[in-house]
Amino acid sequence: MSRLGAAAAAAAALAALGAPLLLGRGTLNDLWNLAFAVILASSWNILGGFAGQVSLGYSAFLGIGAYTTVLLSLRGLDPFATLVPGALLAAVFSVVVGLPGFRLRGPYFTIATIGVGEAVRVAASSVSFTGGSSGVRMPAGSFDFGRNYLAMVGLAIAAVAVAALVRRSAFGRALAAIRQDVDGAEALGVDSTRYKLAAHALSAALVALAGGLYAINFQYIAPGAVFDFRLSLSIVLMPIVGGIGTIVGPLLGALVVSTIQLKLLELPALRDSYLFIYGGLLIVVILFEPKGLVGLAGRLLAALRRASAPPRTAGAG
Amino acid sequence: MPAEPLLSVRGLAKRFGGLLAVAGVDFDVARGEVFGVIGPNGAGKTTLFGCLVGALRPTAGEVRFAGEAIVGRPCHAIARRGLVRTHQIVRPFRDMTVEENVAIGAHFGRGAHRGASAARAVRAVLERTGLAARAGALAGTLTIGELKRLEIARALATEPAALCLDEVMGGLNPGEIAGAVALIRAIREGGVTVLMIEHHVHAVAAVSDRIMVLNFGRKIAEGAPAAVLSDPAVVEAYLGSEAPVEAA
Amino acid sequence: MTRLLTVAVNSLLAAGLYAEMAYGLAVIYGVMRIINLAHAGIMMLGAYVTLTLFSRFGVDPFLAFFLVGPLFLAFGMALYRTVVRRLPRGGGAPTMGSLLLLFGVWLVLQNFAYLVWSGDTQSILTSYTMRSVSLLGVRVGVPSLLVFAASGASLLFLNLLLRTTYLGKAIRAVTQNRDAALLAGIDAEMISAVAFGLGCAFAGVAGGMLSTLYAFTPDFGRSFLLKSFCIIVLGGMESVTGVAAGALVLAVVENTLAVYTSVPISFQDAITFAILFAALVALPEGLSGLFARAPRLRGAR
Repeated sequence: MSRLGAAAAAAAALAALGAPLLLGRGTLNDLWNLAFAVILASSWNILGGFAGQVSLGYSAFLGIGAYTTVLLSLRGLDPFATLVPGALLAAVFSVVVGLPGFRLRGPYFTIATIGVGEAVRVAASSVSFTGGSSGVRMPAGSFDFGRNYLAMVGLAIAAVAVAALVRRSAFGRALAAIRQDVDGAEALGVDSTRYKLAAHALSAALVALAGGLYAINFQYIAPGAVFDFRLSLSIVLMPIVGGIGTIVGPLLGALVVSTIQLKLLELPALRDSYLFIYGGLLIVVILFEPKGLVGLAGRLLAALRRASAPPRTAGAG
Repeated sequence: MPAEPLLSVRGLAKRFGGLLAVAGVDFDVARGEVFGVIGPNGAGKTTLFGCLVGALRPTAGEVRFAGEAIVGRPCHAIARRGLVRTHQIVRPFRDMTVEENVAIGAHFGRGAHRGASAARAVRAVLERTGLAARAGALAGTLTIGELKRLEIARALATEPAALCLDEVMGGLNPGEIAGAVALIRAIREGGVTVLMIEHHVHAVAAVSDRIMVLNFGRKIAEGAPAAVLSDPAVVEAYLGSEAPVEAA
Repeated sequence: MTRLLTVAVNSLLAAGLYAEMAYGLAVIYGVMRIINLAHAGIMMLGAYVTLTLFSRFGVDPFLAFFLVGPLFLAFGMALYRTVVRRLPRGGGAPTMGSLLLLFGVWLVLQNFAYLVWSGDTQSILTSYTMRSVSLLGVRVGVPSLLVFAASGASLLFLNLLLRTTYLGKAIRAVTQNRDAALLAGIDAEMISAVAFGLGCAFAGVAGGMLSTLYAFTPDFGRSFLLKSFCIIVLGGMESVTGVAAGALVLAVVENTLAVYTSVPISFQDAITFAILFAALVALPEGLSGLFARAPRLRGAR
């Protein structure tokens, strides 16, 4: 990453952390939502973008994190202490799903994850200790939005940093190799299953942490909300729209999708059309710019460079 | 007493549905040898290599490498033990640079390098294979000759004990073929045992210590190049006539 | 004994419907190596179109199938020509791009249904919806029986189409070996369009059948999508009989669980998924692969 990029990132992080000093509660709420989206998008991207394994079942990890936090808090644990068990549980679950699941190639794995997500949602709605389909509520305690905001933004910064570190590490290179040619990677000694499992577990843990923070902030969760398939969908949509496999892509995608969601709430006419928008976005991106906004920006920059370059003399180039 | 062979194959067979691609092959490869594998198209050569490195699971037979039975082990584990192959149809990681491609071998092969030592290992391999000038180029932009060398470079970066080259000279012009022969000799001098599938019979004969001939999945000849290439059975398998083949 | 008969009869009836659903997915995958995630949306649309034909025009649902089929054939071909065809070719295996694209189409179809028909639960009530007859001592609903008859007839018709017409043979050829078919002069583009249309037609009719049996909303279809995948994984995708076999296996498992255990219906998705998982992992070639390798269960991958 260039010095300029690093400086910009640091500035943005500081600005986000310092925002409560300057901005009103409404805007802070929006930023909290944005940070939440950034964590989900960046974490999913580790498995989906770097390693190319597209999972449509990430709401399961969010829900695991949320429920662990609420249920353990109800038993007397400090809410923030419950985040770690939630992350561990999600990571373990991701391995349980991944061990058989990663024997499936590409789209077959994706389909299997749809099933997993659904199965988890059904299980959570049917079992009594999770409160069934009516959900559960956090114990009455100190609700501190300032603290919640800093926690979510802090986690977002950490998630993006983790993704960046992974990408430039040997682990990240293995994931990239797996994405492009898993058999070729295996032929050079890459244990693809182990690395897929690791990426899955890491991203599952991060998403679960976000789920726990979500529960702490909203105080009430239900299977319909945290295990919703539409959540899995928007988790996937963000990195794809922004630029799958990059660091900046999920951030851009989170911004775009969060903004759309905000605007939708304001315009009643559009409220019922979010599926059109999500579906349409997917179609447009896949057909016209599979690399998302980042790819689009790249193409624009290249075109600008060509346009502003001096004309070549005949016989050169 | 002769040293135990590095690679020892007994009764290797591979069936695909109704097709018996490899029909029971036995051979040994000694440490430090260059062992050529030739035969008409469809003789089962690439399938054989696939079975050796674990990309395919043999239907029957045993393979011992460095004293260990390796049939049934996953491909990546066999690569880490030092038995690696290149692919007949090159398969570079197209979205990565030449350097990054080779780094995969350096990180995850038998050498298991990290950080600075990985960078050094990669540079060394790029020098040996003549790709140093193209280190930063995206793999998708290379010529076929360069891609073939990249295929070899990636495999070399794993620091193999034995390297299986699958038709690395396919599609090369005579100058490039001479370069490939020189590279193989250099690889052998570096202590790596080489198995090579080739159709350029003269090139194989020039660089191999021994040659094995496959036809319809069976071994029909094995021995010194000159002897093998003048074996009537071999000539007939290739040409179906009595035209003699001369070793260069 | 009656429980066994119940399982047997209900499984057979369910298998017809399932085969009809699954075939729509199978033909598209077979010809184009594309997994049509919009399959769920098209089934859902088929249900709604049947509903509209029934409630607005008074057409009996089972007669409506004759309209739904051709309508969705045209719709499928149009969808192929406008959207699917623009996908870059992925080679032998389905691509992520195709998966996500059709997923997007599914979402659009859902929203379309919400706008046109609202999100309220709908169902079709005809004079015979509540009637039942006794078959081998088992009570079966008349709609189930009619669905079985309809699916049987359409699949027989399909089998005839595949075996005797040029179109059918071309479809089978492309499914088995696309390159060879191209070399033989088959227009793969045209066949792909027709196959996609055929897949949508079967999905639409299956949706219509579902509408006579269950209540539905625009969101329904996901569990049937999973069932369809399960079936084509079990039965393979290259023949109608394979799909029928897979459908029967799934139906038998579901009904056995329903009759002999107290597993609630809501867990059916989880069970289907478990079967799908197991099938995908253990049987890469479907059930037929299992029989071919009977002596050794762990064959070459």
